[in-house]
Amino acid sequence: MEIITGFGNGLLVALQPANLFYCFVGVFLGTFIGVLPGIGSMAAIAMILPLTFYLEPTSALVMIAGVYYGAEYGGSIASILMNVPGTPSSSITCIDGYPMAREGRAGVALFGSAIASFGGGMIGMIVMAVLAPGLADLALNFGPTEYFAVILLGLVAASAVSNGSPVKGITMVVAGLMLGTVGVDITTGAERFTMGIPEMRDGVHLVIVAMGLFGVGELIVSIRANASGAFQNEIDYKKFYPSRAEWKAMFGPILRGSGIGSFFGALPGTGQTVASAVAYAVEKKISPNKERFGKGAIEGVAVPEAANNSATQTAFIPTLTLGVPGSASMALVIGALMMYGIVPGPRLLVDHSDLFWGLVASFLIGNILLLILNIPLIGLWVRLLKISYRYMYPTIIVLICVGVYSLNNNVFDVWLTLVFGWAGYLMRLFRFEPAPFLIGFVLGPMMEEQLRRAMLLSRGDPTTFLTRPISGTLIAITVLLLVYAIVSAVRQRRRLRKAAEALSET
Amino acid sequence: MKDLLLRLRKTDDEARPPHVYFGALGGIALLILALVFIVGGYELGVGTPRRLGTGAFPVITGFILAVLSLVVIAADFRDTSDAERPDWISFAAIGAALAVFALTVGRIGLVPGAFLTVITASVPDPSLPILGKIILGTIVSLACWALFIGVIGLPFAAFGGF
Amino acid sequence: MKHILAIGAAALVLASPAIAEPGKWTDEPVRIVVTFPPGGTSDLIARVLAQYFESEYGQKTVVDNRPGAGGTVAADYVAEQAPDGTTLILGNNAPFTIAPTQFDNLPYDPMGDFTHIAYLGASTPALFVQPSSGITSLDDYIARAKGDGITYGSSGVGSITHILGKAVDIELGIEQIHVPYQGSAPAIQDFRAGVLEAYYDMVALNGDLITEGETQPIALAAPERSTAFPDIPTFRELGHDIVIENWTGLSGPAGMDPEMVKTINETVAAIMQLESVIERLAQFGVAHTPMPSEEFTTFVEGTISTWEPLIKAAKVNG
Repeated sequence: MEIITGFGNGLLVALQPANLFYCFVGVFLGTFIGVLPGIGSMAAIAMILPLTFYLEPTSALVMIAGVYYGAEYGGSIASILMNVPGTPSSSITCIDGYPMAREGRAGVALFGSAIASFGGGMIGMIVMAVLAPGLADLALNFGPTEYFAVILLGLVAASAVSNGSPVKGITMVVAGLMLGTVGVDITTGAERFTMGIPEMRDGVHLVIVAMGLFGVGELIVSIRANASGAFQNEIDYKKFYPSRAEWKAMFGPILRGSGIGSFFGALPGTGQTVASAVAYAVEKKISPNKERFGKGAIEGVAVPEAANNSATQTAFIPTLTLGVPGSASMALVIGALMMYGIVPGPRLLVDHSDLFWGLVASFLIGNILLLILNIPLIGLWVRLLKISYRYMYPTIIVLICVGVYSLNNNVFDVWLTLVFGWAGYLMRLFRFEPAPFLIGFVLGPMMEEQLRRAMLLSRGDPTTFLTRPISGTLIAITVLLLVYAIVSAVRQRRRLRKAAEALSET
Repeated sequence: MKDLLLRLRKTDDEARPPHVYFGALGGIALLILALVFIVGGYELGVGTPRRLGTGAFPVITGFILAVLSLVVIAADFRDTSDAERPDWISFAAIGAALAVFALTVGRIGLVPGAFLTVITASVPDPSLPILGKIILGTIVSLACWALFIGVIGLPFAAFGGF
Repeated sequence: MKHILAIGAAALVLASPAIAEPGKWTDEPVRIVVTFPPGGTSDLIARVLAQYFESEYGQKTVVDNRPGAGGTVAADYVAEQAPDGTTLILGNNAPFTIAPTQFDNLPYDPMGDFTHIAYLGASTPALFVQPSSGITSLDDYIARAKGDGITYGSSGVGSITHILGKAVDIELGIEQIHVPYQGSAPAIQDFRAGVLEAYYDMVALNGDLITEGETQPIALAAPERSTAFPDIPTFRELGHDIVIENWTGLSGPAGMDPEMVKTINETVAAIMQLESVIERLAQFGVAHTPMPSEEFTTFVEGTISTWEPLIKAAKVNG
């Protein structure tokens, strides 16, 4: 009951003309900025932060939130059209979105992504409204051991993201974990594998890895493919409405993706990238349409988009109720609130309930605005593909350069992108896939940090991972998954060998 | 210049597609990388179970990666299918384009930097005449100026260093 | 053209009275380089300054975040810019006090390569423990640390809270187990999850947790008690001379014109006295003390030498 009155009041707040206007400005700006590779919600929020000084706190928060989830949606547009993830969390969307565009189904992919984002946003909003107090407690039950266990589970799931050989998938995850250690060791302050370069002290920025491996690497492949006309498929510019079968295929993935996304969003630190990766991996495991994944399956677009958008909404839970920012963008939200003297924390829900409910209701409005704004634009976006690739690819390269350069205003990052871009191309040649690498790279530093912290706090006792109930359960699930994967792989190989023997005998 | 490029392209295209043995090279590169991290990790110190050292995680992941890359190498040697043909011209041109941006943006500014980047990146596509490249470069660099400096307000200089 | 302008400016400077007035100091837009990503206390102070430079004095100002390597990337960048007042850095203990001792190959000299212009203010960290632990005084804390040992969270290796932890180790003769985090928020999260026994953090950012009874403050590392939290004793009054403050100031490249420095200093002082600015900065527990630029320079130099042994201890023992 409390929720309904709260939400009702929130709706009144969110529908005030001023708030409606700022919500619109937020989602519009967010979508626009999200499309630009490398320039994500961080840059967009930083850009409007000075503006928010003049606004009511609720208007400011509504606008910032709009930018945040608008950018998540915008990021997928770049992923689908150019295979350049606009934001790191939309890297996963590249895996199926870009092949769809290649098949001439860019419109359907964009529409599917919009619908999935909307669904994810709505479910994330409901989760936030109903469970905010409860989910805050969840985050408080997550100590280092639990984080370690959930990351382990995520990694085992993520090694399934690969389309090619599963061994190569796992290899890439581990390579990502290993390379994630480059930079200053946050537990001791010692430098690792930085080669004495000061810019390497903070490690390699995720955006650089995503831009290099996905964006630049793919671009090199595409130049010749386009020149030789391999990709000159007829594109039906008017058809972007998914077929009945596609609607049906998306429904389950959106629900599951949103569930997984809501969970990871509420855990500070894991964030949208992990949410979309894990959701994709899970969907790929259970989908009846497995073999289509990676080749342009609409489910493969819907799942990560639903997951990252719902994670975007639930990320506000720890931010507002615990004061723990899950990401750099959320840290900006906290900073903005503190400018108004609103201290995020357990009292926020009570002391500023109008702000909280206004924000929740603005998610509903904002997501509807996003749909209204974006569906008419799909035709326009798809038309971009009509532009000859010889004009497109030099432009994309410049966009990547500017995006990467804007991270720290340091050209060193452009050089690193060059290295990762070349590595991405070589990986494709050698049939390794960048997506599992990226996931390992995101999770590695967190995994190490939590592992070492857990060992420090338990004073060197490794059984702490098994004796704490939540982490014990998570580790048990991980082990079961691994055993299942190995057993089924061995069985399949045996079956294949038998079939081959039978074939050679005849 | 254009003829040379076309000829290079042609010889490159007609070359026999490399055997997937080539794929084993990827595994070998990973193996070397893993060994670097194992050795480097030991030098940094692996610490004790209670206080895991700076090198502990690199060593653990390095060992796993080393084992996995051996498996990959073995598998790739047995694979006899044709590999994708590498396109070294585009590889070099895109690398050069990024390098040009890195070298110019802080020195002569975003607009000329973006212009030169476009010109460099478009080298491997001979279907676009020089004039087309110059026009494209001009449009892209001016659009960058308007968008990133004008609208978004990123703290870059359009012309000259800062 | 530029030369004529420069000569003109020099003539103006010669003609102007010795006492600087707050106001615009250059016609070019000014960039304030911040050593942290957007959103932190430091960034917000810079944005407040930028906003008022422009609204009060028409001095167009942008904030330029150049995070990385403990603030040294930003400091290195500023050290290499022209000392014409168009590039300033929102300096703090990270690049100026801690980095000179923390890093062996610092690319700049924190004193020689900079003109230290104006002191902005400081916030103070305190020691917090679990309310359920039964520890209510520093003596209880010492007893616990000497008995079972105690784990404390800091906001990172070489951060001000880590250095405070080391200062406490040395001054109190105990050995706490240091658990570094990336910022204080995740440390507080683990503290509230009950896995961490104590932490050091800026007292102003913990107001809600204190009133809710979620955390128990033990001692403050300020020279005197805070007006917002008068119940928290200082280390000093408990007989331990530990004063560690998180200072913030405005600096520029070396060789800036003294008149311009004076103008900036006066402008900052005038802005920091505005009611709305005082209110905003109070949210972060930052209170301004006016300080001429010469005094500020001596202050920066002083922090380097007084903190050196603590930073060394933190570096060696982790």
